[in-house]
Amino acid sequence: MLTDFNRKLIESPQFKLLSFLVSSARGCVDEPALYGSLRLIDAAARLIDIMQEEGLVNDDLIRLRELIKEKMDLVMYDEAGFVEFLDYVSQELVKIVKKATQSETDR
Amino acid sequence: MESRLLDKAKTMLEVIKGRRSIRDFCDKELPDEHLRLVLEAGIWAPSGSNLQPWEFVLVKDRDLLEKVKLFSPGLFGRPAAIIVVCINRKIAEKAGKMGEFMSLMDVSMAAENMMLMAYALDIGSCPVASFNKMAVKELLDLPAHVEPALIITLGYPKEIPKPPRRRPLEEVVHVDRF
Repeated sequence: MLTDFNRKLIESPQFKLLSFLVSSARGCVDEPALYGSLRLIDAAARLIDIMQEEGLVNDDLIRLRELIKEKMDLVMYDEAGFVEFLDYVSQELVKIVKKATQSETDR
Repeated sequence: MESRLLDKAKTMLEVIKGRRSIRDFCDKELPDEHLRLVLEAGIWAPSGSNLQPWEFVLVKDRDLLEKVKLFSPGLFGRPAAIIVVCINRKIAEKAGKMGEFMSLMDVSMAAENMMLMAYALDIGSCPVASFNKMAVKELLDLPAHVEPALIITLGYPKEIPKPPRRRPLEEVVHVDRF
């Protein structure tokens, strides 16, 4: 019988991310090498979901999550495109950091 | 007669070519009679020595489905149901040494039958191999001799993806000699 707390715990997005990471850690032992990157970028999108629930996102980050969800399937049919997409996400993340820092210095 | 055959073949090829792996589903229940048809298509797959070493666990319960999802990194979207395609080891071992390998082919053919039937019913599907077998076995109370091999997600597609590139016939078919 699940107590209210335990139910809340396993239904929380944090717990979902935790079990995703643990299952992925085991799965990656036997899966194609690039699936490690797939699981990590998927986890990043899930983390942005959690950050959104906590009010810790901006439009750029939400756009980045949508992009991840749209493009992560590339790993299954366009390996080079997938790697390019990972580069793009990394660049976008840097832009977000720079923009935030820029806003600070502008203040 | 010839044209009837060609029509049949064309319909068959349309179904085979039309099936896509769907990873985003509408929030809509699937009719039980359609799920039954999908499962029925599974049991009509060929199998080595006609052993039919498969067991299918249909999961519709939302709570249970969410728990399976927790341990299935390859399961995308929120399907209305899943079929956990399993190998019954006690049956498979009747095929001797080949049983392990052959049973995997048998359940794969059953899975394809089910996904094609799903497509014929406008139901989207996706085969998922990336899940924690130990966890799924535990969650679904599978007996020791029943091994989950594949999860098939089922639900009405939110969108139909474009078909990925296929290696052309000229590249993969070798006549008489490689």
